[in-house]
This record gives sequence, C-alpha cells and structure tokens, in this order.
Amino acid sequence: MNPNNTATTYEVLSPWAEADPIPLKGLAPRVDKLDGKKIGLLCNNKRAAPLILDVTEKLLKERYPSVEVSRFTSKTFSVSSLEKEREGEFNDWIKGVDAVIAAVGD
Amino acid sequence: MYDAIYIEGKGKPTSTFFFKYFHNDALSAASSKGMPVIRAVPENIVSECTIIEDIEASVTAVFAEIIDALTKPLTPEEISPKRHEPENPPRFIFKGSLEEVNRFFYQRGWTDGLPIIPPTEEAVIEMMTGTDFPPDYLVEKLEPRLGKATVEKIAINAVMAGCLPTYMPLLIAAVHALGANSGPGMMAVSTGSWAPFWLVNGPIAGDIHINSSFGAASPGDIANAAIGRAMGLITKNIRGIRKQVEDMGVLGNPGKYSFVAAENEANSPWEPLHVERGFHKDDSTITLTFPQSFQQMLPFSTDDKGILATVVGSIVPARFGLFILVLTPNNAQSLANGGWSKQAVKDYIIKNTRVPDDYYGRLGIDAKTLGQNNFLATGGDVEIFRPSQREPDPVHVFVYGGFGSWMGFLQGGSSPITQKVNLPKNWAQLVKKYKNIVPNYVRY
Repeated sequence: MNPNNTATTYEVLSPWAEADPIPLKGLAPRVDKLDGKKIGLLCNNKRAAPLILDVTEKLLKERYPSVEVSRFTSKTFSVSSLEKEREGEFNDWIKGVDAVIAAVGD
Repeated sequence: MYDAIYIEGKGKPTSTFFFKYFHNDALSAASSKGMPVIRAVPENIVSECTIIEDIEASVTAVFAEIIDALTKPLTPEEISPKRHEPENPPRFIFKGSLEEVNRFFYQRGWTDGLPIIPPTEEAVIEMMTGTDFPPDYLVEKLEPRLGKATVEKIAINAVMAGCLPTYMPLLIAAVHALGANSGPGMMAVSTGSWAPFWLVNGPIAGDIHINSSFGAASPGDIANAAIGRAMGLITKNIRGIRKQVEDMGVLGNPGKYSFVAAENEANSPWEPLHVERGFHKDDSTITLTFPQSFQQMLPFSTDDKGILATVVGSIVPARFGLFILVLTPNNAQSLANGGWSKQAVKDYIIKNTRVPDDYYGRLGIDAKTLGQNNFLATGGDVEIFRPSQREPDPVHVFVYGGFGSWMGFLQGGSSPITQKVNLPKNWAQLVKKYKNIVPNYVRY
C-alpha cells in the first residue's frame, strides 16, 4: 500500500465517545497535626494492601503515640464501587475517623 | 482510588499509597470521579507483593509524604479544581487515504494495533441499518470515562472492527452488559488481564453465522472475530480503558482481541445457557464473562467418570473467581447418558474439587494464609469452590465446539451478565441481505 496514494480519500468519523463535563470537587480540609487524632486505615482485597497498612500502623504508633487507628477492609477492589450493601457501615466508619490512609495494593 | 475520592467527598482527608507505575491509572480514576487533584503517594511495592521486607522498606521511605498528604495545607487548586473539559472531538475527525486514516487512528490510540476499516459516514449509516434506534440514541454511559455509547459511536467502532450491520443488535446488547454493573469495568482495568468472553444464544447465532462448532473460538468467522473486536474498540474508545493508562494488565491477554462463540444448542443434551438463566428458548441473548485464562484438557476417559475426574483433578487453587467448564457436544452427551444434569455436574465440581489436606504443608505453606489471599474458598479450608452471597453460582457449564473430546476451562472472573438482544423490525430482510457472506474454502 502506497501511503502517498490519495486516489481514494476517506472522510472519517471519530470513534472517541463524547462525555459530559463532570462537576469537580475539591479535597477535604486537612488536619493540622496527627497527634490525638483517630486515623482510619483502609485497604482493599489486594493482598499487598493489608501488609502495607501493617507497616503504616507500626510507624504511626512509633512516631505518633497518641494516634488511635481504626481499620476497614474492603472485600473487593473498592468498597464504594462494588459493595453497596456495606454503604452504611462504610459511612459510619468514615464519620468515626479524622483522616484516612488508604492502601489499594496497586 | 475510588474509595479515597469517596472519602474525600465525605469531608475526610485521605492519603493513598500507589505503585509508581500506576500514576496514569490513578490520575484517570481521579478525573473520572471529578477529583483530579487527589493526594496519592507513589511507592515501589509491586502489585500483589507479599515480601514483608520490601513492603517495610517502601512504606518507610514514603511515610513522611503520606503524613504530609494529610496535614499539608491545601493549594487553591486543590480547594477548587480548575474546570476540566473532556475531549470531545468533532464528528468528522480526519480525511485521508486508507494508509493515512489507519496511521492517524493508530497514533491517536484508537485501534487495537490491527488495520481498521475507515468509518466513513456512508459505512456508518449502513451499519446503523442494523438497528431501529436513531444515531443519537444513548445506549449506556460507560465507566470509567462515562463515555456516551450512542448508536452512532457503537456503529463507528463496529465499522472499524469489520462488523456487518446485522451485528448491531448484539453489540447494543453487549454494551448494555458492560453497563450493567461496575464489575466489567473493574475486570477490564485489572492487573490480572481478564478478557471478555462473549457467549451467544438463541436464533441470532444462526442468523448471522456465529460459529458454535469446530474451532468456534478460532479466527476465520467474521461474526466471532468482529463482534469481540468491536467490543474491544468500544472498551477503548467509549469506556476510555487504554493499555498501560487505565488497563493495567500485567501479562496481557490475547482474548482481548476477540473471544466469541455461540452455544452449540442443536447438539447439546441440556437446556441452553439463556434458558437456564431465565430467558425463553426463542430469545437471543449475549452473555459476558471475564475469564483470565483458557485451558484445554483431554479427559482421562470419555465417559462421565473420566470427564468429571479430569475436571476435578485439574482445577488449580491459584485461581480467582468463576470456573466455566466448556464441553463439546460429545462430552455433554456422555454426561447426560450417565444421568447427569447440568446442575448436577456443577454441584459435583463444587463439592469434590479439593486440595489434599497435607498438600500445602508438605510445600512449607500454611493453607490458612492462602485462604486470606483469595486462593482458596476460605481461610484454612481446602475446598476450592464455596458458593457465597456474592458468588452463589461459582461454576458454570457451557456447551460449544465441534464433535470431539477436548474440553475447556475458562478460569476466573466475575459473575456472568446476560442481556436479551432486541431485533429491528426488518430483521428478516437484513439477514437475507448479508447471509451469503461466508467463507468458501477451495479444496486443494
């Protein structure tokens, strides 16, 4: 096939789907310091994720002794996307912590 | 990343570890959920790593950054991100020769690497004769990009893939299957390289020549080849799942080109899959599953005992999710002759597929840890399958292929999704128009 052969010209349509602009959200306000805070540790079902949090918890307790931690483990890749039946439980957990460190294993 | 975005949306600061090669993936996930400025910290922990020393070293190395992400004051853009306009190219995107069109599409990342048929307006209009829906009819918005799968966009990708207009009803049903829940999106982006397998049931399979017999899943039939290919292009161009950007499959999977078969209903002793799943025999359906691998086995013997022993003795523990046993008509008939229903076969596999009690101990591995890592049904148990609330039916049986004794294992994946195919009013005329497009092999 000769790339310079323009004998037949094709005017073609775009296969890339249109999408609507998504309303953007800013980040939540940060905490000023960790001392005395309750830190949520969230992992999904990827097997590196809880191991990452084990090390994180150990370092938190060493460096911030007044920090309290609370774990939440997703049974899937993503609790908010795939575990609608746990929405209430997840929301309650979020309400109960001041900040979250998440490990997703990827 | 979706959970971090969700938590930020609930007003709690979040800091997320991610493997450094997943930067693009993390950004796309964040943008798709409307939070393009998520705070995430790259680390050097390979996906699925279990080596504690490596994890300790990497977490320790970035721990200060993880804490900073929770405490460092927000920038103005993090408080109010700038408006992000999705790329919406003009309807006519390019004009050029066959070679130039192909080069342009490839360089834009819109193909699967194989040449495409140029989607001219004329070709797309002909493709849309396969449906009664208008071009702007929105079939689904597909995650993660929430791209609009209109009839015209489906038809454009179908033309590129080499489809015939009679495939449009199936493609529309298949798009509904992709949009049915978040499962297919998660599978398509996963490091596990899960590839969609599409099984077609009902009269449409014969109408459009979807191979259900010898070599059904091999190249050589337009329908089997082009329907899966079109769905791959739709995954890329409508869903927005691109290799090494959103699709983080590590090894990749040839099934992502096209993996399509029709059930060999005419030669199966059992009810077809769609009837088993609540549809009428005269309905046409498409069923989506996401196996990770396809394996073929020759049964120890071709009677029911030999077939079942081969299956049960060959299913390996290091697998995730669904198991689909693919039987040829002969294998299925052998089982039926032995008095086995499809359900009885499934129950037998679930009950009897077990790892010997002392097997892992002899290899120096604690079976309880395998359970925690999803390799076995539950921690410390040696059963490979255990129906759960999330997966009540972990084993399925499909009948396709020619007359022979090889059987197939479709290993892994999420629950099947079956969608009914709705045909246009002029279906009979359409079928007649395209029915002679079949390969005619010359004897040599």
